[in-house]
Amino acid sequence: MTAIEARNVVKIFGSLRAVDGVSFTVARGETYGLLGPNGAGKTSIMRMLAGLSPISAGEMLLSGLNVREESRAVRARLGVVTQSDGLDGELNVRQNLEVFGFLLGLSRRQARVRADEVLGFFRLGDRARAEVDELSGGMRRRLAIARALMGEPEVIILDEPSTGLDPESRIRVWEELAELKRAGVTLLMSTHYMDEAETLCDRIAIMHSGRILDEGTPPELVSRHAGSAAMDIRPDGSSREAIRRQLDAASLNYREVGALFRVSGANGAPPLLPDLEGAQVSERAANLEDVFLALAGRGLQEEQA
Amino acid sequence: MTTATVLVPETGFIRWRSVHAIWWRHVLALSRVWQVALTWFVIEPAVVLLAVALGIGQLVGEMAGFGSYAMFVAPGIVIGTAMFHAIFECSWSTFERIGQSYYETALTAPVTIPEIVLAELLFAVTRALISTVAVAGFAIAFGWIPLSALPGLMLVCVGVGTVFGGIGLLFAALAPSMHALSLVFTLVATPLYFFSGTFFPISVLPDWLQPVAWAAPLTPLVELARGMASGELGRVHGYCALYVLLLTALLYPLAVTLMRRRLMK
Repeated sequence: MTAIEARNVVKIFGSLRAVDGVSFTVARGETYGLLGPNGAGKTSIMRMLAGLSPISAGEMLLSGLNVREESRAVRARLGVVTQSDGLDGELNVRQNLEVFGFLLGLSRRQARVRADEVLGFFRLGDRARAEVDELSGGMRRRLAIARALMGEPEVIILDEPSTGLDPESRIRVWEELAELKRAGVTLLMSTHYMDEAETLCDRIAIMHSGRILDEGTPPELVSRHAGSAAMDIRPDGSSREAIRRQLDAASLNYREVGALFRVSGANGAPPLLPDLEGAQVSERAANLEDVFLALAGRGLQEEQA
Repeated sequence: MTTATVLVPETGFIRWRSVHAIWWRHVLALSRVWQVALTWFVIEPAVVLLAVALGIGQLVGEMAGFGSYAMFVAPGIVIGTAMFHAIFECSWSTFERIGQSYYETALTAPVTIPEIVLAELLFAVTRALISTVAVAGFAIAFGWIPLSALPGLMLVCVGVGTVFGGIGLLFAALAPSMHALSLVFTLVATPLYFFSGTFFPISVLPDWLQPVAWAAPLTPLVELARGMASGELGRVHGYCALYVLLLTALLYPLAVTLMRRRLMK
């Protein structure tokens, strides 16, 4: 059963094609991640799905409902956590939830009961009477997710759920999202953190400049684009220029990151390095970051061509 | 851009729960700061009313056809104060709510822009009504307005809320910054407060300025309020009421269009 379907979706701002023909499907109960740098088009996709931004071209469906034609029905099935949290600073924690529940169509009593449930789930019960301004960043994010759950949505959209949080709060948010997933909720999230995508997502779309460069489970993507292992080269004795020449000559996929050359393999195999005299070479497990660097590098070259 | 036309089919129906819930949120937010709100609604207008009626009123003496100056000026001050409430709510407060992503969050629920605009106007009317009861109550206590005029004044204040709430929303939707937004007071609220027949009859203005003063959106409301207070309503008040309805009918779709442009990108 398909929860979300995007068909050739385009978003145009003036002369910018922020989303440039994106297609993907998310199955019910799945956690799907849009991974990419700022400006890749992740937020635009989510805003279009939530009806916050007009779709320039293409179609988006949620549980079979066309977002363009039935936006109201779509939003009744959707919980949305925007990057800004959008909490109401003039109301306290509990009122934020209850007023939103009432806006969704719950009765005041139902809203009160549901607010207690989500406060319990996010362990915010003792902060129910607190002002929003008194909450830590992690609590604010969890309250925003709690608010998105008020209507018991089929699908939750999360725009960068852990951006700006300290490590402990991040893990807590992750645990709670994993628990939602276990409860059968479909999650569509964006992130620019590789570890977050790897930890939470069943499948990932790697995005760059408004396009999906590739899609798959994290292990699939790693194996396809970064091989089984990656090599980090520290120039030490030899010159950077010489290493660059040799890597180019061997047609290897690499990026210069700080003092390092990061070389990724492909198709399940590690890179075959030429003999780099004087340089220090270390092998490590390939990860999504290597995939991203490999794909984004290629994407950039295509753009320039 | 063509993209603005392809969003939610919003023309279909108004979901009253959206309007009700947003209005309730505003009432709740206001009630949480009631101590401060009390000063806006009671102390500020009381100071103005006392200063004008007892201070300037001593210099002016009788107004032909109105009795004392206080009786002439009180209905206008009731309306002018209500105007400030409506315009402040829908410009300043709305602008702040845009900045704090309040509407963005509301729009993630099954809510549409026309419903947001209606809720804002309804709350502007609410604030105008609270202000009217407070200020008119004061004037009634001093015998400047008869108690029987209160329902009529409240009815006029519904028009104050829709017209000046609507004007406030236009500024909130268009203003690029808080500084720009303050123009709504410099260019609209303050000039209207003084040139809409509140403090002196429009007939004393130079001939060339009189049509301008009559066209100003606050003037018909002040005229209606004065008619309600004196109990003498004539044909001119019919025209005034029509003008208020016309302004509301023009401002509402304009506010919806501009708010959509501001909130849907």
